[in-house]
Amino acid sequence: MDGRKTSNWWTAAGIAILLWALFPLLWMLSLAFKDPNTFRSGTPQFLPKEWTWENFRTVFDNSLFTSALRNSFGISIIATLLSVVIAMFAAYAIARLEFPGKKVLLSMALAIAMFPQAALVGPLFDMWRSLGIYDTWIGLIIPYLTFALPLSIWTMSAFFRQIPWEMEQAAQVDGATPWQAFRKVIVPLAAPGVFTTAILTFFFCWNEFLLAASLTSTDAARTVPAALSFFTGASQFQSPVTAIMAASVVVTIPVVILVLVFQRRIVAGLTSGAVKG
Amino acid sequence: MRRHLVRARHHQGARRRVGIIAAVAVAAPLVLAGCSSDSGGIPTLTWYINPDNGGQATLAARCAAESDGAFKITTQVLPNDADAQREQLVRRLAADDPSIDLMSLDPPFVAEFANAGYLLPITDPADVAELTDGTLEAPLKTAYWEDQLVAPPFWANTQLLWYRKSVAEAAGVDPTAADFTWADMIEAAESQGKRIGVQARRYEGYMVWINALISSGGGQIIENADQGADATPTVASEAGDEAAEIIGTLARSSAAPADMSTAGEEEARSLFQGDNGSFMVNWPYVYSAAQGDAPDMVEDIGWARYPEVVAGTASMPPLGGINLAIGNFTKHPDQALAAAKCITSLESSIQYMLESGNPAAKDAAYDDPQVREQFPMADLIRDSIDSAGPRPITPYYGDVSQSVQRTWHPPASVEQPATPVETDDYMSKVLSGDRLL
Amino acid sequence: MTTVDTRIDQEPAPPPAKKVKAHASERLRHERRLGLSLSAPAFLVMIFVTAYPLIYAVVLSLYKYRLTDPEGKEFVGLANYVTVLTDPIWWNDFVTTTVITVASVVVELVLGFCFAWVMYRIIRGRSVIRTAILVPYGIITVVSAFVWRYAFQLDSGFVNQWFGMEDYNWFGGRWSSLFVIIMSEIWKTTPFISLLLLAGLVQVPGELQEAASVDGATAWQRLWKVTLPNMKAAIMVALLFRTLDAWRIFDNPFVMTNGANNTETLSFLAYRQNVTLVNLGAGSAVSVLLFFTVVIIAFIFIKGFRTDLSQVRGD
Repeated sequence: MDGRKTSNWWTAAGIAILLWALFPLLWMLSLAFKDPNTFRSGTPQFLPKEWTWENFRTVFDNSLFTSALRNSFGISIIATLLSVVIAMFAAYAIARLEFPGKKVLLSMALAIAMFPQAALVGPLFDMWRSLGIYDTWIGLIIPYLTFALPLSIWTMSAFFRQIPWEMEQAAQVDGATPWQAFRKVIVPLAAPGVFTTAILTFFFCWNEFLLAASLTSTDAARTVPAALSFFTGASQFQSPVTAIMAASVVVTIPVVILVLVFQRRIVAGLTSGAVKG
Repeated sequence: MRRHLVRARHHQGARRRVGIIAAVAVAAPLVLAGCSSDSGGIPTLTWYINPDNGGQATLAARCAAESDGAFKITTQVLPNDADAQREQLVRRLAADDPSIDLMSLDPPFVAEFANAGYLLPITDPADVAELTDGTLEAPLKTAYWEDQLVAPPFWANTQLLWYRKSVAEAAGVDPTAADFTWADMIEAAESQGKRIGVQARRYEGYMVWINALISSGGGQIIENADQGADATPTVASEAGDEAAEIIGTLARSSAAPADMSTAGEEEARSLFQGDNGSFMVNWPYVYSAAQGDAPDMVEDIGWARYPEVVAGTASMPPLGGINLAIGNFTKHPDQALAAAKCITSLESSIQYMLESGNPAAKDAAYDDPQVREQFPMADLIRDSIDSAGPRPITPYYGDVSQSVQRTWHPPASVEQPATPVETDDYMSKVLSGDRLL
Repeated sequence: MTTVDTRIDQEPAPPPAKKVKAHASERLRHERRLGLSLSAPAFLVMIFVTAYPLIYAVVLSLYKYRLTDPEGKEFVGLANYVTVLTDPIWWNDFVTTTVITVASVVVELVLGFCFAWVMYRIIRGRSVIRTAILVPYGIITVVSAFVWRYAFQLDSGFVNQWFGMEDYNWFGGRWSSLFVIIMSEIWKTTPFISLLLLAGLVQVPGELQEAASVDGATAWQRLWKVTLPNMKAAIMVALLFRTLDAWRIFDNPFVMTNGANNTETLSFLAYRQNVTLVNLGAGSAVSVLLFFTVVIIAFIFIKGFRTDLSQVRGD
């Protein structure tokens, strides 16, 4: 076999994958830059006839969107932090300690990863109403961090297992205090795993729609995925396709940035959480 | 003596307590208001509004300013779609949410909300008179539940028949003629190879169309609506069959738009403005919207009363719009009532109609010169609203409407007499809890 | 499938359990206590958010209870389950959910394997591809649904123009709507599956491939006899997770069709009964049944297909 020729074939296949992954994004960008008044008229084309920033101005002038963006960031970040902290304790216990509930904990995490969230919207809605946390940040943060826990626990315990914990003892033998040993030796080793987990958890919270649609009702807690379907045009009957796409572009930017910067870590986290690799 | 002393002390204590209560009562609104707004002292009313282009927010600001510091109003936007608006409000009201002071409510949901005790009835005859005087007949009917005023109309809406003058001329028909029927319209569009814009996606707008057809044919969707779950579905009737005939025929004809089963108001408008446009039933907003995005063809747009189902029997056009209700759990009922009076006043109606393009519910608004200038069809809109047929007034409206939508969708599958029979059967099972929706 | 050494199945034996020695028992007890207290928050949160509401749902499902009609609440026993299970809507939604799940998982598995293979073999630009496919993975599902919907929608989309479909209404029929929904689903989740499979692929020992090659096996034979059997564990885990994920599909039909034309899924039905209709009685029955379908699927995978969850559980 001609090595270079096959290599070219693989490159061609790679380009095909690239197109496949990015093409819908181009469509999103194109729609977001189309003129909201004329994008329907005539036969729709892929690219805008005239490029306009108008849609972006529309969405940023819209308090519906700006408050949703604030809620999305706030809720996702807080839920991520809490989930990572809680999962870190559990993952440490799983990776390092022998204790009776270990199997139960792991099975429970597995069960929750498979849990149909839609089965919970009814009872959660009713519970949240009586607890008074319906339509609040905390009302979304609690279920988000819960449903993110399994992923966080697996990913981190997989990372933690690879940490050479002996080094901690070695450092202590060398005269470091336990705290110093932990801070100088273990933290730098564990940090990448924790960080990766945080990114994956953030993606999950950023993406979530079902609970966001069920447990919010005002811009006090409504996140972007739920707010997108609330957009409206000049009259209540008009659906602002181009503005929705502009908003979509805006909320995709953080995803793209995270992916660009942390590609390697995300891949490691995704695969280590599910299959030991 | 001792008793006397005790009583005296008690008395004193009681008096002090009264004093404290009074002080709390005076202070409480201040404290509460302080919690909910930045400008302590003035209660802030929250008005849940359906999305519009900012018209309601403007009214809110104006009414607050005119109240001379009695209240402030903030607005909270509800979703676009009528069903989703109801859903959001129900969720909050079922939690006895005191933050809903005022709400813009789609008329068909008034009965359900009132029956569940979510709306504050307006009982003082003077208030009732102020809120309802001069309101057109049909919208006013939707404002009551069990003979109490619960949701005075804020604005009203109706559908007209819109047509392309060029197409009607080429087909040799006059849509403004008194006896122009759906059958005439379908025939005319087919003869020109054009298509008719309607709303037949599976949503409330489709129910609007079906209801208008059935009432125009002299029927109604349910009887004994006031008996709630025991109401009798009456779609399987002559009028129901006529309606099914029109929808099925249109959907299977060459005049059916390609996206008929997914079309809402905007899809219909986009079709109407395009090369295949001929006739369309739609709300008046389409006229100002066309001026915005298809100014070249505005000249070609004609309008007429909603087409007839049976030639010679006047049609009952759809009734839409928004009623304004006061939340039953509000902490500021007096201020909310005052705000409602301001928002539904004739002056506000005119302002809102001019700003948002949504027609007024008050008769006199249509005599305003500015309104007449902006809406050349003002008289037609007024007549159409006045003679419109409301959708069934029942606390189980959601069940009724969705039973109809489910059985009549997709429109191309609608047959008479099968579809109306199926609807009645399904609806009664849904109402008795034997079927899911 | 039997001829080749399946090394993955023969995981290295777990380290032998620590023998409890008398002098170590104090330490062990301490370790246990620490382990329990460290995992307690996770336990409690998970129970509070899932176990408790699930029990609550079971209780609610025995009542006729609609939020807008609180006085009408009455105990009806299992009547709600009978209503749900005898209703064509439940079964229609069941079929829709099954079609979406099977179609998307099968396509994703094949496509994901191809992607994994390309990423495994490609020399130039591997990280570019990995970065690119992470974008669909990370994008908001609702956004993906809107993007695909507008691409196929008659008045705004380019699809009909490009493929000469004139005014074919994709969202006008059940199967064409499901096609678009499945497309969006596949686009969004193939990256995840392909990365899992890539992780499995790199674990297949190179010597085995070479040995088979020396024995004269064609590339196709090598794929079926060496590569795939060695990846079985990774494939099964990927399958299990994607199947259950697809089974819970909600966002795509919600945005694209709102359930019209028989495109409603079981999650959507649960949402509609509970949230839209606030019919908490029948809605809870749907929720409980939905939960059972998930349990059954997981059971089929774990017992029927012998999916090795120690891989996932990490024990």
